[in-house]
Amino acid sequence: MVSKTEETQLNSLENQVDNGGGGAWEYLCLVRKLKARRSEKVLKYGLSILNDPKKRSALGPEEWTLYEQVAIAAMDCQCLDVAKDCIKALQKKFPESKRVGRLNGMLLEAKGSWGEAEKAYSSLLEDNPLDQVIHKRRVAMAKAQGNISGAIESLNKYLEIFMADHEAWRELAEIYVSLQMYKQAAFCYEELILSQPTVPLYHLAYADVLYTLGGLENLHTAKKYYASTIDLTGGKNTRALFGICLCTSAIAQVSKGRNKEDKESPELHSLAATALEKDYKQRASDKLGLLTSALRSLKT
Amino acid sequence: MAEDLVLDTAIRDWVLIPLSVVMVLIGILRYFVSKLMLSSQLPDPKIVKEGQIIVRARNLRAAANFIPPKSFRSRRVYFSNEENGLLFVPKGQAQNPQAQMFSDPNMAMDMMKKNLSMIIPQTLTFAWVNFFFSGFVAAKIPFPLTQRFRSMLQNGIDLSTVDVSYVSSRSWYFLNLFGLRGLFSLILGEENATDDTQRMMQMSGFGFDPSKNLGAEKDGLDIVQHEWALPKFEHRAEAVLKKLIK
Repeated sequence: MVSKTEETQLNSLENQVDNGGGGAWEYLCLVRKLKARRSEKVLKYGLSILNDPKKRSALGPEEWTLYEQVAIAAMDCQCLDVAKDCIKALQKKFPESKRVGRLNGMLLEAKGSWGEAEKAYSSLLEDNPLDQVIHKRRVAMAKAQGNISGAIESLNKYLEIFMADHEAWRELAEIYVSLQMYKQAAFCYEELILSQPTVPLYHLAYADVLYTLGGLENLHTAKKYYASTIDLTGGKNTRALFGICLCTSAIAQVSKGRNKEDKESPELHSLAATALEKDYKQRASDKLGLLTSALRSLKT
Repeated sequence: MAEDLVLDTAIRDWVLIPLSVVMVLIGILRYFVSKLMLSSQLPDPKIVKEGQIIVRARNLRAAANFIPPKSFRSRRVYFSNEENGLLFVPKGQAQNPQAQMFSDPNMAMDMMKKNLSMIIPQTLTFAWVNFFFSGFVAAKIPFPLTQRFRSMLQNGIDLSTVDVSYVSSRSWYFLNLFGLRGLFSLILGEENATDDTQRMMQMSGFGFDPSKNLGAEKDGLDIVQHEWALPKFEHRAEAVLKKLIK
């Protein structure tokens, strides 16, 4: 995940290049390092560097990395001819390369010829059964073809071997949520929290899933995780604040009649409501009326 | 003896500096040779999987307090279960992989290559130093030493009355051997084949790392007491919000 300073740096570089001041190469390097997905800009500036033979020779050996980056960006923008040219240049230089083979597979994918792409990837995997990127491309292909259960199966098999890959866990969690398989999604989010306990995003998503699952215990746990999100983001996350209010009211509804007072955090609910009101007053004061009426209906 | 021996400056010009220069050059040569001889080692899937398991188990141990107790317990059972737990290595199997590694041709070849590339230049340089640069005092160590070091540092010098601080060129060779590592990492970047001392330590502490690691992880995991940190978070969230509202 990209940190805030890196993102601001990337944006300022982007502005600089957009408005005609140089630095295209630094921008491309930063995009590559942060694995950000800015394919249009990369395509535009990458091509401008590659088509200018003077600038191209100034790059030296980095030229081929740029070819690869531009090829992938072109495929993302569906400029398949550009991509094919770049790949041809790379193939001339590195005839037996696995990386170029992978790019060829990606090109077939972009064209939509799934069968051939699958064949290409399988042959690459035979030579190198532990290539993470190719495994992930197969999952992406299955997902793109709409074969979600196949994607889940391949992703699970991938995770059996590479179980420390948190990006894969995240993808799996999102697929499960899209299929409403919330218990499995909760498991994946737990893995994510384990590997990166200080990222509030995962706490929030986990709390959402627990809240959706329902049930008194899950609601209590969800409330706790909303609270931890608030703690980790310094109270600025509106969704977590809403989550607290909703959880409290849901718990009150479920345990109606049982006089189970929440001894742990009696004030959290009202505090969250006040914080929400303050936030709305600052940022969207015209919606404040909606907010207060919604909160009042929750309080009952 | 308290008197100072005056050493010829020619020693500095013709012994110390050339020796250092030669060692640096040999190091650089070895680096390039190792790059040429680098055989792409196909990672063994079993080892990769075990490495990943260890990372995951370590994450579990480190952040155990962030997930609900039930999930933690189910994960712990998954890892350290007697029958098919991931971290459980039956005693009999633990010894085999080591023997397997030695008989595995690829790995044995790799190890041999690495060892050779390390041993041969060292031996040659040492012999060269002994042949050409022995029998005289090469340098003076700035701090006083005890008599025990005499046999180590004053090899070619057969006078027992010379102060131990005056050493022969062999000790200069050893000093360079261990000291140039920092210089090499500056010149050649982080990953260079001249990391002899590290390799020597690795060779002496040789064991099939993954299986020992697995056992260690399992023990660590068994020890962990789960103390759910989330209730604390509720109080902290309250405090945060209170501050925010003020």
